[in-house]
Amino acid sequence: MKLYAYCLASGIDSLPQPVQGISAAPVRLLKVENLVVLVSDLDTDAVSVTRENALTHAAVVRSVLDQTTPLPFRFGTLVTEQQLTNYISARKPALETKLETVRGCVEMSVKIIWDFSGHDQPEPPQKYQENEQGAGALFLAEKRREILGDERRAAHASEISTWLQENLNALARDKMVTVRPEGKLVLSAAHLVERSKIGQYRAKVEQLRADRPELHFLLSGPWPPYSFANVELEFKSQFGVS
Amino acid sequence: MEQSPENPLSAEPAIETSHVDEFVEQLRCVTDTLPSRINIDAQSVEQGLAKLVLTLIEFIRRLLEKQAVRRMEGGDLSPEQIEELGLALMKLEAKLQELKTQFGLADDDLNLDLGPIGRLI
Repeated sequence: MKLYAYCLASGIDSLPQPVQGISAAPVRLLKVENLVVLVSDLDTDAVSVTRENALTHAAVVRSVLDQTTPLPFRFGTLVTEQQLTNYISARKPALETKLETVRGCVEMSVKIIWDFSGHDQPEPPQKYQENEQGAGALFLAEKRREILGDERRAAHASEISTWLQENLNALARDKMVTVRPEGKLVLSAAHLVERSKIGQYRAKVEQLRADRPELHFLLSGPWPPYSFANVELEFKSQFGVS
Repeated sequence: MEQSPENPLSAEPAIETSHVDEFVEQLRCVTDTLPSRINIDAQSVEQGLAKLVLTLIEFIRRLLEKQAVRRMEGGDLSPEQIEELGLALMKLEAKLQELKTQFGLADDDLNLDLGPIGRLI
């Protein structure tokens, strides 16, 4: 028998209502010193990556979000009770610090799609003769065009990222921003926002959306702080759970 | 309990966008590139190794291209040297394309997610 771990939390003694977990197994609280882990007992060595299981994992983590801010475990974390207890006991100070960081907060997410095609600019002239070029020189000229285009995209993406951060950082305790100039989904940002500031955060994003109509926004949340947990990394290195 | 009475958390997470289809399409692309579980059989191990090696070669190839373009822009290459360098890089690109086809890899496969610092290429 193994334990499927959903999330780690503090400050709760019981679940607000009975919760059904992966494979319809009941969810219970496993207390380790002053921390608790939401777990289900499962008689299996692996959990299938299915939509149903992923949604169940998310629903269990979310079930305590009104009471506290948990640190979600990575989907598929299946360990013995002894492993889990040892892990928490050994890492307690670090886990408490992490819980303190997310305390009172939720994760809000902003994603931005752009259309860069309208930003093509004339290239600066080449410093060498274009006439009488062979296949090799033409190949390099084409590469030059590609590289200049990539640099323009990267600069524009960076400007969008800076603009977003200047406007939202004051409302966030922490942030995780990924910028991908090569794709249409140019920016994905997760912000750790205090619950009392969710309204302000939404209003600010709405204003930003109006300021830059050429960018397409997706705002979502509040979520448990999946992007700020990082519990799975230590867990993976300790138990090889992936 | 963290929740204060004057500050209740709204019940369900909301998703707000005026461009649903566009985001669904893009997020599906992201999901498709997420690493799946690795099956340890001879063929997948060989392909995984080829992917790793070819990713590093592709990274170096792109660095060489950038360096070549910078030298060309700097004006310190003669037309003959530009032609020669361009042909060499062209052949390298063709060879890498051939190897990718051989191992059943697409252009997007040749990359490494380096976590917080982004992707290699």
